Amino acid sequence: MQRIFSMMVKEFKQVFRNRPMLSIIFIAPILQLFILAFAITTEVLHIKLLVCDLDRSQVSKEVVRGFGNTDRFDLLGFSTDLKEIKEKMKAWEAQMALVIPPGFSRDLGRGQNPEIQVVVDGVDGNTAGVALGYARGILGEFGTNYVKNRPNYTQPVGIHLVNMEERMWYNPDLSSQQFMVPGIVVVLLTILPMMLSALSLVKEKEIGTLEQLMVTPLTRYQLLLGKLIPFLILSYVELAVVMTVAIVFFKIPMNGSYLLLAGLAFLYLFTTLGLGIFISTITSSQQQAMFTAWFFMVFMILMGGFFIPIENMPPILQKLTYLNPMRYFIYIIRDIFQKDSSLFSLLKDAVPMTAFGLLIFSLSVLKFQKRVG
Amino acid sequence: MPEISVKTENLVRNFGSFVAVNQVNIEVYQKEIFGFLGANGAGKTTMIRMLCGLLKPSSGKATVGGLDVYRQSEQIKRSIGYMSQKFSLYEDLTVEENINFYGGIYDLNQKRIQKKRDEIFFSLGMGDYARTLTYDLPLGFKQRLALGCALLHDPRILFLDEPTSGVDPKARRDFWEIIHQTVALGTTIFVTTHFMEEAEYCHRVFIMDAGKIIALDTPTKLKNRYKKKSMQEVFVTLVEKQQEKKTNPMPDSNDKMS
Ligand SMILES: Nc1ncnc2c1ncn2[C@@H]1O[C@H](COP(=O)(O)OP(=O)(O)OP(=O)(O)O)[C@@H](O)[C@H]1O
Ligand SMILES: [Mg+2]
Repeated sequence: MQRIFSMMVKEFKQVFRNRPMLSIIFIAPILQLFILAFAITTEVLHIKLLVCDLDRSQVSKEVVRGFGNTDRFDLLGFSTDLKEIKEKMKAWEAQMALVIPPGFSRDLGRGQNPEIQVVVDGVDGNTAGVALGYARGILGEFGTNYVKNRPNYTQPVGIHLVNMEERMWYNPDLSSQQFMVPGIVVVLLTILPMMLSALSLVKEKEIGTLEQLMVTPLTRYQLLLGKLIPFLILSYVELAVVMTVAIVFFKIPMNGSYLLLAGLAFLYLFTTLGLGIFISTITSSQQQAMFTAWFFMVFMILMGGFFIPIENMPPILQKLTYLNPMRYFIYIIRDIFQKDSSLFSLLKDAVPMTAFGLLIFSLSVLKFQKRVG
Repeated sequence: MPEISVKTENLVRNFGSFVAVNQVNIEVYQKEIFGFLGANGAGKTTMIRMLCGLLKPSSGKATVGGLDVYRQSEQIKRSIGYMSQKFSLYEDLTVEENINFYGGIYDLNQKRIQKKRDEIFFSLGMGDYARTLTYDLPLGFKQRLALGCALLHDPRILFLDEPTSGVDPKARRDFWEIIHQTVALGTTIFVTTHFMEEAEYCHRVFIMDAGKIIALDTPTKLKNRYKKKSMQEVFVTLVEKQQEKKTNPMPDSNDKMS
């Protein structure tokens, strides 16, 4: 017990004396959070808009004028072909399209609520979200003016005058803050434990202190526990900090149980701490360890559904994501944040995640030997 | 017959097809300073690592303190001290913190750690540096601290791999002073060095070349045998002889060719 404790004390001292490392650990994720949050809320201008006016009436022209009168949208032109919309979006020429159905003005005049289709290119979820917001505003304004200009119009002031149907072709979930911030929690619980454990073990290898420790009676379990427990604690501290910033500052709704989140995070940490140990056994310098950790991380993030939704990947890659423990944890975290899921409903992700974690962790511990060369 | 601390029989270690330690047989006695000489790459560190349980031998036998290096390496680790060739204390911890840390790792109680700390501070003259980061210590003191830490748990056998490399002559003398005191208390010392005047301080020396023993005796006997005044000359003569053997495996074949 004293042995593990001595290791822990030493580890904490070293972490807190390593200023550059400390700032990377604690400031980087919060910075990330801020950048992401602000990048997402900044104003988006000159959205390339295609109009498909199948009604060709005075009223429909009025709607289009509403979109032309602002520098938020650049009117690209008109089209009568729905296929063209798809093609132009694929070619990155249009970001949004407005489809005004035939009979729009007639239905509106009769007090029925006609539909306007707004098609948004969901690849850039952030822009798409903002564009939709603008469109709602412009259509709402149009509705108000429409009622104002027609004194004998009997409908109540038309807020629901125009219904929209939005279609996301690429990114059905519309990544937004609500979607991204829980993702950052996952990335954090990946980078921090993996980097800290890999770098600190490899550093000891590099400077020779690991060899020194290996000729002491310290067992490899004591050595690893003494090393990893401090990183586990630091990961939780950081998790608390980032969640506080996210919830208090960015008002990200957290609907689920904190206890459940902390418990499942613990199971996920087996994977990332285990990977850290593993990396330290296959590298011999901090630089190599850093590169290897980046490699693992990029793979996990790309193949985990953080940026690219898994549903939109080619089928082979989709299958490959089942091998990525991060995939499960991203689902778990988003479900806890957004849906207040119970442990029971999360089991289908929690079980494979834990299985991977225990497998990776125990193989890594076995690979970590109290010998050199 | 003195008690045997370290014994090897035909000990071999290969790295791939390269033989770093080749069929080495030695016996080291209790309370002996056993010097281990050899050019760079001779296999000294490899030999020490095998004896400390850091490296598995490829073949042969070895016991340390009567314990087998294959099966009992963890028990061996309780009774040995090791100072590796590379300085390996934590430079971002203070002198005091390093001592406390290793004391904790060796499971010494607080009283014992305190006592050892005082010993290192006073007898090794490090009192002024207690709160200094190890990084900022002069090299001579770093080595001394490393020795102090390797001795915290009163090991019966101490392995020192080039403990004085890079240290000035005065600091080296002081260091050997401590080694002699330690031996007087009953510890066996197994030490590698490149400094021939240090070889003179050893009870017996063992000269190795390319993984093989080329000489093993007391410094006096070696000097007499090769009719040299110093170990320096003995070493150079022996190593040169080996070189000749390697470049001219059959000396007279050259004559026939020309
Ligand atoms: N892990 C390893 N893998 C491959 N070769 C190794 C390994 N460790 C040592 N060697 C080789 O074994 C030989 C002996 O190395 P060793 O470190 O034992 O020499 P040494 O006598 O301690 O030399 P020095 O005086 O330079 O410290 C060297 O040629 C070295 O390159
Ligand atoms: Mg060496």
